[in-house]
Amino acid sequence: MKILVSIDDTDTMKMDGVEVRGTGELSGMIKQAIEDQRWGRCEPITRHQLLIHPDIPYTSHNSSMCFEADIEHVFLKPLIDFASDFLARESTPDSDPGLCVAVTDRISRPGRLIAFGYMAKNYVLTKLAAYNLAETLGIHLSEHGGTGQGVIGALAGAGLRLSGNDGRFKGKLKIKAENNMIKAGDICSRVKVDMVKCLEEGIVLQDDDMVILGDHIKPVWLYGKSVLLVQAIDQGVASPACWQTCSKSQLKDF
Amino acid sequence: MWSISDKGEREFTGGKEDWAAVAHIAENCPGFKPDDEDEMVADEAVSCYNCRYRRWTIKSFVCCK
Repeated sequence: MKILVSIDDTDTMKMDGVEVRGTGELSGMIKQAIEDQRWGRCEPITRHQLLIHPDIPYTSHNSSMCFEADIEHVFLKPLIDFASDFLARESTPDSDPGLCVAVTDRISRPGRLIAFGYMAKNYVLTKLAAYNLAETLGIHLSEHGGTGQGVIGALAGAGLRLSGNDGRFKGKLKIKAENNMIKAGDICSRVKVDMVKCLEEGIVLQDDDMVILGDHIKPVWLYGKSVLLVQAIDQGVASPACWQTCSKSQLKDF
Repeated sequence: MWSISDKGEREFTGGKEDWAAVAHIAENCPGFKPDDEDEMVADEAVSCYNCRYRRWTIKSFVCCK
């Protein structure tokens, strides 16, 4: 069965010289543990930006991390137990970690979960609202330290991942190509990218379209696909490629 | 370039799109430390926007160093 595993608010800002693991790193460790224990297969992690507001006690950027996994039913409880213990143990002492595990097929009204995700990008929400919705929809939601405020972002992260249209993938892709130039079709066949698309226009590249690879190859989560966004190259530049991958600053709003 | 909030925090007055200014500030800042790659938004590697000690606000960011 397919599940969404989402966590939030696991870290604090490092100020005293002690290394602090970010939420993304902890999410990656949970994902790795699921695969190491052969509980199932996991999809890449997405990062979801939530509202920046003075009334929200985020660390520095207020984002949550989510991934999908395909596991056997029998491993659901062990997985939740493991992730709960892991967050309680590995999160920074002053943080407010939250964990959400949603069985995709069992969510009674998925639209409400997606709506909660988008609400969390635009409004200040409460823990009570998060717990009430999780209970109504049959979703596991738990807190593992501090105020437990991370349950809001954790639930929102699951909703935004489920929406298929929010966030960018954790990490960046490495693609070897001569002169850093490659066909769009080869990108899709070599790495976890389903579609190469123009950032500003609704143009989806054809397999033979040539793309220049920048040093920041990071897909985003759009249309329920891993989409690599590109921009058109100035026509005045003599090159067999008409496209180049987008930079960090161009992807900052995803 | 910086305003001081009621809480005594230093908030950058240039907003979230003044790429050149924050790159210049960070290059001369002994406290700069790169954030996780996933949280970087500036194309310049050394930039306040990419620093572990920046905390985003509605209009800009606060320097927590």
